[in-house]
Amino acid sequence: MKQILLITDGCSNVGESPVMAAAHALQEGITVNVVGVVDYGTIGELGSREIADIAKAGGGISRIVGTPQLAQTMQMMTRKTVVQTIQLAVNKEVKKILGEGSLEELPPLQRSQVVTVVDELTETSDLRIALLIDTSASMKPKLSAVEDAIRDLALSLEAREGKSEIAVFHFPGRLSDGADLDMDWTNDVSGVRSLFSRLRMKGATPTGPAIFRVLEHYRYDTLDGYRDRRPAEDQGEGEGMIGGYVV
Amino acid sequence: MSSNPPYPAGTVVAGKWRGNRYVVERLLGRGANGTVYLVKREGRREWYALKVGYDTLDLQSEINVLTSLQSCRKRNEHRARRENPLSSFLLEADDFVDGNNVPFYVMRYVQGKPLHLFLSKNGPSWLGLVGLKLLNNIRKLHECGFVFGDLKPENVMVSDYGEAELIDFGGASPIGRSVKQFTEWHDRGFWNAGSRTGDEGYDLFAFAILCLRLLNEQGLKTAATQLPQTRNVEELLRLARTLPDKKLASWLILAIKGGFSGSEQAMQTWKEHIYTPRTAKQENIATPRWLKSAFALSLFVLAITMFWLFRL
Ligand SMILES: Nc1ncnc2c1ncn2[C@@H]1O[C@H](COP(=O)(O)OP(=O)(O)O)[C@@H](O)[C@H]1O
Ligand SMILES: [Mg+2]
Repeated sequence: MKQILLITDGCSNVGESPVMAAAHALQEGITVNVVGVVDYGTIGELGSREIADIAKAGGGISRIVGTPQLAQTMQMMTRKTVVQTIQLAVNKEVKKILGEGSLEELPPLQRSQVVTVVDELTETSDLRIALLIDTSASMKPKLSAVEDAIRDLALSLEAREGKSEIAVFHFPGRLSDGADLDMDWTNDVSGVRSLFSRLRMKGATPTGPAIFRVLEHYRYDTLDGYRDRRPAEDQGEGEGMIGGYVV
Repeated sequence: MSSNPPYPAGTVVAGKWRGNRYVVERLLGRGANGTVYLVKREGRREWYALKVGYDTLDLQSEINVLTSLQSCRKRNEHRARRENPLSSFLLEADDFVDGNNVPFYVMRYVQGKPLHLFLSKNGPSWLGLVGLKLLNNIRKLHECGFVFGDLKPENVMVSDYGEAELIDFGGASPIGRSVKQFTEWHDRGFWNAGSRTGDEGYDLFAFAILCLRLLNEQGLKTAATQLPQTRNVEELLRLARTLPDKKLASWLILAIKGGFSGSEQAMQTWKEHIYTPRTAKQENIATPRWLKSAFALSLFVLAITMFWLFRL
């Protein structure tokens, strides 16, 4: 399972549309969640609409919160998205067998069995989350909170039984319009320390190009033969994953 | 959905699959996963608690935990040759047809107060006894292969006579799995004191925080609001050491450091060092002098009676 978690505090203003970039992500089997962080005032109508649209295009969830709720929100979103992805795949299987897809329609016994499978897979399936952090000037006072929230998320992921990895990107990047990689795929919580300490903050917010950069990174890994996974486009991944469970 | 107004008194919650009907008496409480009502089954006299879920998957997950706990307890009680009908916590699960098919389940009504309110009303001297009962419940849960996860005073109900019951199993997960639901202050990870993998030590840590919170909430708050980098276990240990009851302090320190082998040992230690001193005092109490003299007197009376009896 693949996710992108975008953390930003405003509108993009450079490069391709982030909504389109998110749509591309979804097409490649990557869900995009967005957290808007604001401590004072509001994020503005334009900003909040963009945040909602990116998540919608990316098949994910969006929330606007202050820094105190950041860690909890990131975990809630990650978990919810995992559950939804699995539920979707499981529902497809269930429909084949029972003719009924939605959990609400199932009689108690079947429902209990399906949820057991969903819970099992939620805990054991492999998971990769790319964190994409907006480090434009306005984000500066929030970055230490962001880092703590990332560490907290990593701690929760570490407790899962399935292999869980995170990577961290920030944007704008130094050279390109896209994003720079701060930490490559890891499951080591202790790696999440002083990620952004050497950053020089710039003003532009190229959210779209940054998402595309993360997609490239995901793709690059797949080409590299990362544990001979099937290509991301293979939508059957979910089904293959649960094939052994629902009989 | 969580913002829906609660059902008014008199609402009949009828099950879609099993057809049982429950009459709402009043709201008991709302939480993250659902709304809980005090109900009576139509035509019966017993009270039950009925939880209406916000999300079918989350509620079913909770029901699944309760179901496997139920069968585990039944096995254990059968082994102990003790048939206790009160032990059935989960009665049934169903969907409320007229309420938009929302899922609900029916459980035993646990009369009482949440732990923090009980202690603030009755005084901290109850902690030894209530803590022991709570630890025993946690131990039984662990025996069945589950950790509670979200252990906090709000999720413990205490009857007027100090019986402690865990409610809200929404955070419970099989031992070895990641903890599903937790509350910052009570979470081992929050204090940089260990992982979020559900093991017996996780619940014992949360139990220790629960004690600290009940005895020195302000101190805990100060420690908790420190920056995440500086927030650490040392602060908690320091708080524990300031408690006047030194035996309790040592127990808490051990639990915070993850020093117990499991909840069995933690409970036995609590029983011996924090709970027992009171009963020990009673056992060792010498027979009071007045009773001794009363006894002597009655002997004397008996002797005189006999004397008169035999004389006649
Ligand atoms: N079995 C019960 N008996 C009495 N009161 C209960 C019972 N279960 C829950 N409650 C009350 O309802 C509140 C919310 O229930 P809870 O199960 O904690 O919901 P959530 O999982 O949403 O947090 C509790 O805090 C408590 O006051
Ligand atoms: Mg609760």
